[in-house]
Amino acid sequence: MSDRAIIHLVLSGDVEAYSRLVDRHYDRCARIAVRILGNREDAEEAIQDAFLRAFKALGDYEDRERFSAWLTRILVNQCRTVLARSKRRDSLFIDMDPADVHFAAAQDEGDGHWPELEHVLARLPAEQREAIVLKYADDLTYEEMSKITGAGESALKMRVQRAFARLRAMLSEVPSV
Amino acid sequence: MFDDFERRVSAALRAPVADDARARERIMQRVRRAAGEGQRPVRRGQSWQRLSRYSIIGLGLAAGLSGVSSLSALAPSASRDGGSGASVAILGDTVAATLHDTLRLVRLMFDAPSARRVAVVGDFNDWGARPTPLTRDGDRQWSVTLALHAGEHRYAFVVDETRWVPDPRDERRVRGADEHVYLLLNVARAAN
Repeated sequence: MSDRAIIHLVLSGDVEAYSRLVDRHYDRCARIAVRILGNREDAEEAIQDAFLRAFKALGDYEDRERFSAWLTRILVNQCRTVLARSKRRDSLFIDMDPADVHFAAAQDEGDGHWPELEHVLARLPAEQREAIVLKYADDLTYEEMSKITGAGESALKMRVQRAFARLRAMLSEVPSV
Repeated sequence: MFDDFERRVSAALRAPVADDARARERIMQRVRRAAGEGQRPVRRGQSWQRLSRYSIIGLGLAAGLSGVSSLSALAPSASRDGGSGASVAILGDTVAATLHDTLRLVRLMFDAPSARRVAVVGDFNDWGARPTPLTRDGDRQWSVTLALHAGEHRYAFVVDETRWVPDPRDERRVRGADEHVYLLLNVARAAN
């Protein structure tokens, strides 16, 4: 069943049909929120708020936009809200000893899991972290990212480039030719 | 072009995060609570053509909310639709969950194997101005879950947008102000 068909059911009064949208999009939202916010607890708060806001606003959703992109826009706004009010925000910007950073890079075993990268991500400026997460955790185009973040496409490309440069420097990686 | 470092960063960002099986249910709990407090979504500018009343055949009476047992008790009471020969039977209503002390989730099930669409209309969706569609669960059965306030509700199933479902029994049928005959459904108030 398509997202559109499920939305029709929900708008027609079938509250439980919304669980299908939650099941379908939860993992993707978790990927984005955990990496933007840096911890599971804040991420769950943002995800819950985003799904609830999406449910209440479902009547405003327009078919010409992908539901996933619409939901992501709500989620990103919730992440920004959580980030802004979180008293733990400073704890995201942990100080890492350069020796630890070298060690962290060495721990990547090539299976896609790179826990230390998330620590280093937390040291990026928020807008760069948001841009690189949206680009690679959600496979969005720059046009979609622009609609979600409100930033221009060229600015977003610049943020992603700078994010990569910072990550590369922090992880002391030498790019392959 | 990606270099190796970018590929590794990209793969790490795409990697799934640890799953919390109860997180989805916590979301749905908040959604149900919001729906129970009247914060359910409504399509903006929705227009709907009222259902035709010319092909009304009749309608059935669902069981009161006596639990799952009502399903098997009513299952044999299928009736024949003289128009298309479709066999329809109301299976019953079951309370799926309690939202709070005045609102309950009620699952309506309906057996109509040859139907292309089944909807429910009643006092909870503006008497057919916004019919709530049922979804097909299997080869025969259709269902929908509604959040209803405790008390008496009038409703009817509508098959393929025109045929109102006949009820093999005569009891507890009521005629609405629009001259349609509706089912009476008593949603018990949740125990505190």
